Amino acid sequence: MPDAGGAAFEKRGVMPQVIAKKDHLFSYLLIIVLMGLLGLWIKGVEVETGRQQAGVIIFSLGFVMLSAYVLAQIVRIFNLPLLTGYILAGIIAGPYVSGFLTHAMVGQLRLIDDLALSFIALMAGGELRLRLIAQRAKSIVLSIVFVTIIVIGLVVICIILMGRYFSVTAGFNPISLAIFAILIGVICVARSPSSAIAVIKECEAKGPFTGMILAVTIVTDVLIIIIFTVAMSLSKILMNGGSVIQLTEISGLMFEILASLIVGGILGQLISFYMDRVRRDLLLLLLFVAFAVARLSIGFNHLMEVQYDISLHLEPLLICMSAGFFVQNVSQFGSRFLESLEKMSLPIYALFFSIAGASLNFDSLQLCWPLATIIVVVRMVGLHGGSWLAGTISHDPPVFNRNAWMTYVTQAGVSIGLAQIAARQFPEIGIHLNTVVLAIIAINQIVGPVIFKMALHNVGESSASSTYN
Amino acid sequence: MSFRKFRIPLFAYKFYLTGIEFLFLGLLLGPQFLNILDANTCDGLAPVSALLLGWIGMLFGFQFEISKLRRFPRVHFMAGLLESFLTLVVVFGGIYFTLPFIIKISEHMRIALSMVLASAAACTAQTGLAMFSVRQIGKNQSIIKILRYLSSVDGLVAMLAMTPVFIFLPCSTEIAADRFLFGYDIFIAGIIFAVFLVLYNLFLTYRREQSELALIIIGMVIFISGFSSVMNFSPLLSNFFMGVCLVNLTSEKEKIFTTLVSIEKPVYLLLLVFLGSAWHLMSVWAFVAAGGYFVFRFIGKMIGGFSISLLGSKMKEYPAGLGLGLIGQSGLPLAILYDFQQGHPSEITDIVVGIALISISYCDLACPTLVGRLLKKGA
Repeated sequence: MPDAGGAAFEKRGVMPQVIAKKDHLFSYLLIIVLMGLLGLWIKGVEVETGRQQAGVIIFSLGFVMLSAYVLAQIVRIFNLPLLTGYILAGIIAGPYVSGFLTHAMVGQLRLIDDLALSFIALMAGGELRLRLIAQRAKSIVLSIVFVTIIVIGLVVICIILMGRYFSVTAGFNPISLAIFAILIGVICVARSPSSAIAVIKECEAKGPFTGMILAVTIVTDVLIIIIFTVAMSLSKILMNGGSVIQLTEISGLMFEILASLIVGGILGQLISFYMDRVRRDLLLLLLFVAFAVARLSIGFNHLMEVQYDISLHLEPLLICMSAGFFVQNVSQFGSRFLESLEKMSLPIYALFFSIAGASLNFDSLQLCWPLATIIVVVRMVGLHGGSWLAGTISHDPPVFNRNAWMTYVTQAGVSIGLAQIAARQFPEIGIHLNTVVLAIIAINQIVGPVIFKMALHNVGESSASSTYN
Repeated sequence: MSFRKFRIPLFAYKFYLTGIEFLFLGLLLGPQFLNILDANTCDGLAPVSALLLGWIGMLFGFQFEISKLRRFPRVHFMAGLLESFLTLVVVFGGIYFTLPFIIKISEHMRIALSMVLASAAACTAQTGLAMFSVRQIGKNQSIIKILRYLSSVDGLVAMLAMTPVFIFLPCSTEIAADRFLFGYDIFIAGIIFAVFLVLYNLFLTYRREQSELALIIIGMVIFISGFSSVMNFSPLLSNFFMGVCLVNLTSEKEKIFTTLVSIEKPVYLLLLVFLGSAWHLMSVWAFVAAGGYFVFRFIGKMIGGFSISLLGSKMKEYPAGLGLGLIGQSGLPLAILYDFQQGHPSEITDIVVGIALISISYCDLACPTLVGRLLKKGA
């Protein structure tokens, strides 16, 4: 935003706007230079005590947050989403470019990262309005079904047909290649609700298209866990020559999802009760909720496994989404709830996505970029085909059908988690699977937000305030 | 949680209003009970605790806008410094001589801890005033006004007293004992502090939305807190000095202040939770020792309050027992204690901070009664 003088100046025409942009750019570059000098200084400091070690991490976190903000403002000048700036800052500060944030540091920021993710999940749930979903229920269901089937189908066929041409998969026997293809195909269906919500918020997008794509993204993120479990069972059959899919595993999983949704609903009820009775310090309560869910679900899962030998995993992300959904749709405090979350949304996005950028694995991308690029393209074709088909059958406006796929490209945490589970189950293909998935995510996470913003703009649901003025 | 419509028992009311209940919530969540905030979690949340300390420091620094301070008579400012300084001296002396009877302690740590406790004692909070009705306050407007003013400036002495503790204590450790780079460190720290000031200025060159400003301030506070920890200095103090500079140098001070104040309460309450989780309750003797600390502080504040009335004809209108209104202690002192505990973690620090926390609870409990007595006298 320009200063008061600049604002008056800009009203007169385009030229002053260009001058203002250049002016801003200069001050942002100066900030980057100064911060770079501070970064160089901290790298040279001899760390002797634990407190200094913690200090370096705290310093780095502040550094990354501020540089994420500055880079986001710079990319905004070129009409790119802020998210791209945050991710770019993380990549530059991360282990593969400047090495300012090491792998160990990124690991130590995990709790803060989880806290931010819980916050974003609360917001994502709060953005889902039952009324809007009900209006477009047919589109949503069809979109999920078609996109899932077509993406899995295309990716599996592509890998099986082209596998022998790539060094990563050339050594696989046919069964291993089939398992690899199935698992990658399923993982390709996963999305990133956190990225979706961040771009939607930035663009202040509202409307039927926004409601639909958000619902599809969130519901797919829940369903993907079930589909993945089925795929794992199928892969085990292929590997060991069994004959039936383990229904107990799938029913157990359904129970876990249901339990998470119920816990989230109860939490939503408690938040609504608090908002009704107390009516103050809501931000503090939400911070407690985000922390408690992130921390207690891990503790609970561990307790059930160690003490009672029961494998019941409550999913923090689902709990928070369900809680947010409950407050928005069952209580009367939805708008106030979102208002409180939005107060802190910008720092949380900058923090979360810059850490996500620093976590992107460029070693993997370097190793298998040709295969990863092909899968990304095939996935995009699948997303486009599936969403177009669903939209056409549901008689959605053509502009929706042409642009919906662009909002489904971003991928993040869930995909990594699924790849890690698969890697543990199938060690013979595990490393390769992980590497390819990380490479795919790196590409999708860089490209995804940019085309997401374009889609919202094309459909006309992006607010004008989101562009640089 | 402080439910508004929930009727709490009368005996708990005094705890409820000062926010001290969050200290007990922290204790409950900490390693001594539920262990949700265990050591690993606290390590993972180190950036949050650095943010809390920095935020409070910055907010306190924003109270020292020279142009606003000049609106009050200079004698009021002097009175604030005097009562605070006298309390500091009395408590420092008392603690310094009694500490060896409670724990075995090295000389430099004895001085440092005495100074930390004295600094915490020098500060005043006016939470007790909130317990009184408008009618009761209305009769004693001038007393209330001076109490509020004193409590807003007397923390300055505490902050200045804490500075040498953080500068010199790291040099007394074995690692740094033979370092001759001490001056060099201070020189570098000065330059980097100036760079931070320039950065703030650059960030504030253009008008920012409130959410952007929040991000910038959070980022800068964390940045400066990290720098302080690397330099073995205090996040609270460095952000305090930054706050003083900003409030007197930038034109965007009002917006920054609004942002700082907007989450002041959550920040303060979270600090209480963190402090509570690190609270080590040892034996019953801690409660006795806390009583001793309370008595030293009480004497200090009474002497300080009495001395104010000797400062000149303008101050004669206030009762000699003004110190009774300065017993409330929550707020900045808690940040000082947590800052020191984070900066110089040791078993001794934990014990002493634990005792101080009990004493702060005593102060918060006694405060409404003592303020009531003062207002009765004043009326």
